[in-house]
Amino acid sequence: MPVHKLPLREAVWLVFSKDLLCEFRNRYAISALIMFALVTLSSISMTIGAVMLSDELTAVLLWIIIFFCAMAGLSRAFVQEQEAGTLFTLQIYLQSQAVIFGKMLFNIVLLMGLTVFIILLFILFLNVDFSLWKIFFVILVCGDIGIGAVATLTAAMVARAQGQHCLFTVLTFPILLPQFLGAIHATATVLGGNMPSVSQFIFMAGYDAVIISGSYILFEYLWYD
Amino acid sequence: MIKMGLFCGLMAVIYAVFFIVPPAQGLGNFVRIAFFHIPVAWVSVLAFLLSAYWATQYLRKREMKYDWKSAASARLGFLFCVLATISGAVFAKLTWGVYWNWDPRQISIFILLLIYGAYMTLRSAIEEEEQKAKISAVYSLLSFVTVPFLIFIIPRFYFSLHPEPIINHLGRVDMDNVMLYVLLLTLGVCTALFWGLLSSSVSNVQKRHLANPIHSNDKDKVKI
Repeated sequence: MPVHKLPLREAVWLVFSKDLLCEFRNRYAISALIMFALVTLSSISMTIGAVMLSDELTAVLLWIIIFFCAMAGLSRAFVQEQEAGTLFTLQIYLQSQAVIFGKMLFNIVLLMGLTVFIILLFILFLNVDFSLWKIFFVILVCGDIGIGAVATLTAAMVARAQGQHCLFTVLTFPILLPQFLGAIHATATVLGGNMPSVSQFIFMAGYDAVIISGSYILFEYLWYD
Repeated sequence: MIKMGLFCGLMAVIYAVFFIVPPAQGLGNFVRIAFFHIPVAWVSVLAFLLSAYWATQYLRKREMKYDWKSAASARLGFLFCVLATISGAVFAKLTWGVYWNWDPRQISIFILLLIYGAYMTLRSAIEEEEQKAKISAVYSLLSFVTVPFLIFIIPRFYFSLHPEPIINHLGRVDMDNVMLYVLLLTLGVCTALFWGLLSSSVSNVQKRHLANPIHSNDKDKVKI
């Protein structure tokens, strides 16, 4: 059977739009993520009542919610393919880079959409002040790219294992921790009204670059037997 | 023969740490814990690096022996990491007053512990041998790329209660000579101990692999 070699950009877009379309059709991941974020944040807000959270606590809360939502929803990238039996089709028709970048893009976009929703909830429930919102946005983007990239690769690893869901969180957390800590630290600084140092941004962007290139190289070993 | 040498080395080190090393400035006799803590911490990082190296070799050559070495290194690394964390916590309690305060080096060793734990969980969750080898090799390498961020960058950005690294930023060694030599000796003995345990672990795995009737014809394929 002739394998159609699509140019990389088109192939990535194909994987991305396929995942997006499937997601719109059954809305499983989106609804799980949104409900998870809503339930977590509202229960915390309800129990603390009128107490104001410090900047550090708000930053920690934000990233913990984003992280656990990601753990709840992002493993579907490959696990669902495995369950539906479409993994093999992808292997035949597309090169590994297209698959990993397409899935990564989808996970990052999903996570960014969720983050916007969570920020709105934060403004609503916790009355957070976002005077430095441009810097804050940059931090969010860096953090989300990191989480999305790592989650996609570990989802690929976990697709063929048992006890997938629990394993997914266990595998992702240690790898993500440096980025996690960096993002929390930077967010806490921004919420306090101060500008984080340039080294913080270099650290986070560097981490993202390293993870994306690492995933690019390692995914081939996972994909092809 | 090697075991005798190892035993002698271990005895020599224990004698040296308790009787030859003088009490340190400020720390007093507590410094003797450092002669245990530093080598095991060093070995746990070494084990991690070796595990990643053999993981690369496995992915390149696809020979099972590299997977066995990688896994054995990770298991031993986990053990040494636990020892390093506990000895560090005890040392911290004695000198800083608390067992754990999320000092950057403590964060790093904790993350290493998590990485080892995750690696072993991953291995136990996959049944088919080649899949297990391939996927755990990929995880080992993925965690390897995040390690520079932990070990070098976090401590530089955050204030640390930890003593300065032995070779400080001026490039000179800042420790009393006797202590330095004993430290190097303990490092050597600990590394030799690790290597001995690793070799025996890998040959055990090889024996079990060959004892399985399915693999009885693999004798040449799985030479270590």
